[in-house]
Amino acid sequence: MNSILDFFPMPSDKTFNEKDGAPPAGQTSFSQHTSRVRHFFSIPAPVKTLFDKVPVLTYPPNDLSQRAPKSARIPSLYVFIKKEDAAAGRPSYNPSCLKWQVNFLELCRYQSPSDALKQPCLSLGRLPFLLPPSKNPKEAPTPITSNRLVKYAEEQGKTVEESSSMRYEAYQSLIDHRIRDAWLYTLYLEPLNFSAVAYHLYVSPTSTNPLVRASISHQLRSAAEAELLTHTAIIDTDDLYSEADKAFEALSILLGEDSWFFGTAKPTLFDASIFAYTQLLLDDELGWQEKKLCRALRRRGNLVQHRERLLVRYFGGA
Amino acid sequence: MVFELHIWGPAFSLPSIDPHCLAAIAYLQQAVPRGKWQLIATSDPALSPTNELPALRNGDIWIGGFRNIFHYVAQFSSGEWVLDAGLPDQQGADCIAFSSFVEAHGQPLIDLSLYVSSQNYTSTTRPLYNSIQPFPLPYLTPPSVRATAKQRTAHLGLSSLDIDTEDADAAQEKSIIPESLRKPKNTVSSLLAANPESNAQIRLDALATNYFEPLQKIKGKKPHLVSDSQFSSLDCLALGYLSLMLIPSLPQPWLAKTMRKKFPDLCAWTEDMIDNVFGGPVKAEDALLPNDGDSTSAEQKAYLPWTAPKNGGAVGIGSVFLSSIADSIPVVGQLRRNTRMRLHGGKTLDDELQSSSWQGVAAISSIVAGLGLAVGYMFQQGLIPLPSGEEPAKERNASLDTFGDAGAALSVFATQLDAEAQRQRMGQSHGAPVAQVDVEAGPGGVTVTDNVA
Repeated sequence: MNSILDFFPMPSDKTFNEKDGAPPAGQTSFSQHTSRVRHFFSIPAPVKTLFDKVPVLTYPPNDLSQRAPKSARIPSLYVFIKKEDAAAGRPSYNPSCLKWQVNFLELCRYQSPSDALKQPCLSLGRLPFLLPPSKNPKEAPTPITSNRLVKYAEEQGKTVEESSSMRYEAYQSLIDHRIRDAWLYTLYLEPLNFSAVAYHLYVSPTSTNPLVRASISHQLRSAAEAELLTHTAIIDTDDLYSEADKAFEALSILLGEDSWFFGTAKPTLFDASIFAYTQLLLDDELGWQEKKLCRALRRRGNLVQHRERLLVRYFGGA
Repeated sequence: MVFELHIWGPAFSLPSIDPHCLAAIAYLQQAVPRGKWQLIATSDPALSPTNELPALRNGDIWIGGFRNIFHYVAQFSSGEWVLDAGLPDQQGADCIAFSSFVEAHGQPLIDLSLYVSSQNYTSTTRPLYNSIQPFPLPYLTPPSVRATAKQRTAHLGLSSLDIDTEDADAAQEKSIIPESLRKPKNTVSSLLAANPESNAQIRLDALATNYFEPLQKIKGKKPHLVSDSQFSSLDCLALGYLSLMLIPSLPQPWLAKTMRKKFPDLCAWTEDMIDNVFGGPVKAEDALLPNDGDSTSAEQKAYLPWTAPKNGGAVGIGSVFLSSIADSIPVVGQLRRNTRMRLHGGKTLDDELQSSSWQGVAAISSIVAGLGLAVGYMFQQGLIPLPSGEEPAKERNASLDTFGDAGAALSVFATQLDAEAQRQRMGQSHGAPVAQVDVEAGPGGVTVTDNVA
């Protein structure tokens, strides 16, 4: 015998069956459709079971890498630098690292600086940072990032020389904006320089995998592009270079015949921040291909001599 | 040949809402002889090759960006219409350095004051765009300017000034006490949250003071910022920024208040300069309808050479509207921006062109792949039914069901009919003649018995 129910198509969705038995047959196709739409936005079953099997665990924060010394007796500064350069006590290849490297050397002038300068850990967030000596050997010290370095140095009883001249802020903004923008463009977005200089400094040491390298170079270039585009609607190369040229001109006039900027007796943070760019632009070993910015700098003789003076003072003229 | 200077329209009784446009106006006003240039409040950055205003038009040549305009004007007049010529070395260097300072540190302050601060933006800045732009554009321009302003000031950590982003409903917890019987709870923190400017007062004050102090010092008692006698390009730029900080009357006037309280000298200089260079307060009508002038404002109109903007009618506005919509669509907007940057990148290198076309190919193929995945998922989930053999069969089966209750009754009937028919068939099969023939052979002959079941 056939049962009556055979003529009602059973809804495929079981929830309907449980709720009100067999729903009126006319609505079935519609409700099936809506339930499918709802289903479309819900988590697919296999993924859900996977998530059920693998619950979310929050791991404690990573320790410092194994290469990091657990308890140094002296503060260590971590910068971007090549292995052989670090051993020889040569300058870093990243402007903001170099600025603090120079400043750090000035502060630690009488404390065997070559010991204090450590190898970089490339994977660790933002460089440069300083690892203070830890009093408790079991407890890892908290790294100090570059914006707190001055405060840390003052806490340690050192004085970081900063000029109180009324021109200080204005000329500092020349370095932080005009020269930095031109630097970003010439290093990352000028294709010749990127493949000749930046690629060897930032991309090839990190990985040998071509896919990873391509991804890192793309990230670097787009980060530089985004940085430049926050100030202007489009990247205007001629404007960038001519503004950097004017900035070097102004800095050259400001330096005049003095040894250090603002006529101080010894180099200050300002000297370090201009040296960070002049050193790298005048370093022939980096192999610049598009030398527009380098030529603009070479035309200012006193800035070139300023770089030589600092190089001799801190890096033995290497 | 008459220069046309295209700018963002007037606001706050100043000739323009943008500091760079104000600087360009001041520069042309001081450097270029009267009658050689016109001022047009177009408020359409798409005109400019660098996609920003101010833009200078000389016949077919378009120059975008205020620094490029200064250079072009100097070049065009073979060094005659230049403001910075003849400054002593030290003053020239100061002019360059402070220009960078005014621009780099002033922009975040104006961004915070006019755009990021919710109260100032909604009550003052956004409505202003209605008067300087034709109809549909004020819906698009101010939000995009504000987004850029937020991006530029993100590093200052003052995003709390923007209270729009917080969810207002989340704070109101549900209660059974009706609204009218509840006592308003004015805690300190709730008052501060309602007025984030007072919360961030110390930071804002410090930012503003750090900006005005070097300017005040370099100016000293001189009539101009760097020179005793000469109006320099730095004065133009500083005037642009300082007037936009001082003049607007805003619901949250922290910037103007700090400036008036601590730097009265700079305020006096700014107000003087506005009178001297822009010829006092500017009304929006002066800029937008300069032709039907009455006698009262004739003097002011003569001060700045306003010309009425030609917007190119509905078609022009429509195309600007569509292009700004295209800019705000994620992938398309990015592509448009990329091409814009490459086009202006001086000499475009071959490999760079190649890479940009590769980017285009990659973007298009990823869109296609995404669409394909989505459609495939829909098929898999059955959102789009596949034509298969099962579907028609089901439909035939359910043909009576479409009649509802009557269908159900009918189907019962149909079942009965069906069952009867089947029973009949069964009966037929049972009633089939089965003959059993028994044959017995006996002595009296052969007896045949037929049994018919």
